[in-house]
Amino acid sequence: MGREVSESCVDSLLTEMVSSYCDRFYANKPELAARRIEAIGFQVGHQLSERYTMERPRFSDNLEAIKFICKDFWSELFKKQIDNLKTNHKGTFVLQDNRFRWLARMSIDPSSEDGDLSQDNSAPVTENKATQATSMHLYFPCGIIRGALSNLGIPCAVSADISSLPACSFVVRIKA
Amino acid sequence: MATTACFIIVSRNDIPIYETELGSAAKREDAAQLHQFILHAALDVVQDLAWTTSAMFLKAIDRFNDLVVSVYVTAGHTRFMLLHDSRSDDGIKSFFQEVHELYIKTLLNPLYLPGSRITSSHFDTKVRGLGRKYL
Repeated sequence: MGREVSESCVDSLLTEMVSSYCDRFYANKPELAARRIEAIGFQVGHQLSERYTMERPRFSDNLEAIKFICKDFWSELFKKQIDNLKTNHKGTFVLQDNRFRWLARMSIDPSSEDGDLSQDNSAPVTENKATQATSMHLYFPCGIIRGALSNLGIPCAVSADISSLPACSFVVRIKA
Repeated sequence: MATTACFIIVSRNDIPIYETELGSAAKREDAAQLHQFILHAALDVVQDLAWTTSAMFLKAIDRFNDLVVSVYVTAGHTRFMLLHDSRSDDGIKSFFQEVHELYIKTLLNPLYLPGSRITSSHFDTKVRGLGRKYL
């Protein structure tokens, strides 16, 4: 069942998926596009978690499952582990990746030409558009994490925080 | 050598998503219902036992006359339950592992809704083949 895919293919597929959903299918409804992308990620995460947990023993509690996501799951997907895991012991976890692979090729400078942005004069608006465009790309990994965790029996809500690119934090809130 | 075996897959929400009779013995009309009844009754035992261990393969967890129930639990809490007359543990463990692979392949099908019944005849044929091979 293990095969390899070229990384540039995966990158192109993800970029195209985000741009089709945001610009063609749900052109003026970014919230709907975001929900659809997240739903795709949910199904993918569900399937991947089933596949990657096959060889290993089951989990005894939530923390074990989160650690699995941080180590084995992340290394299967991105060839590296999560760099930092923080928790408040009340059901919130923050997974920080210091160089998120899928954002590694996105330009951070809002004033430079980027495929997703149109030329704009005022700097704050351009910055907002850049942040929005980048955040669209994060719904898919958020969905993957949510799908993986809910397959392991942990219903949760996952959001992403990109205050410092290329580092990216995923905040997982477990629903009581 | 005639063997009796009944195999069901129960999803996380306690919904049976696949059932089949695998044994090579002559099938009686009431036997099928009895087998299902025994397996459903064993679900409670599985529920308690599943949380005590992190292994996937729980060996014989329940007996009824000369029939034994063995269970294999996945990380997603999907239970594969097999009712059989005492066979070798190794054969049953290999059977479960191969069915687990088949199940993952079914899950990878984007048109399959997780938690719904598995109706693919291909899956059915494969499971029966594995039953003949390992049981």
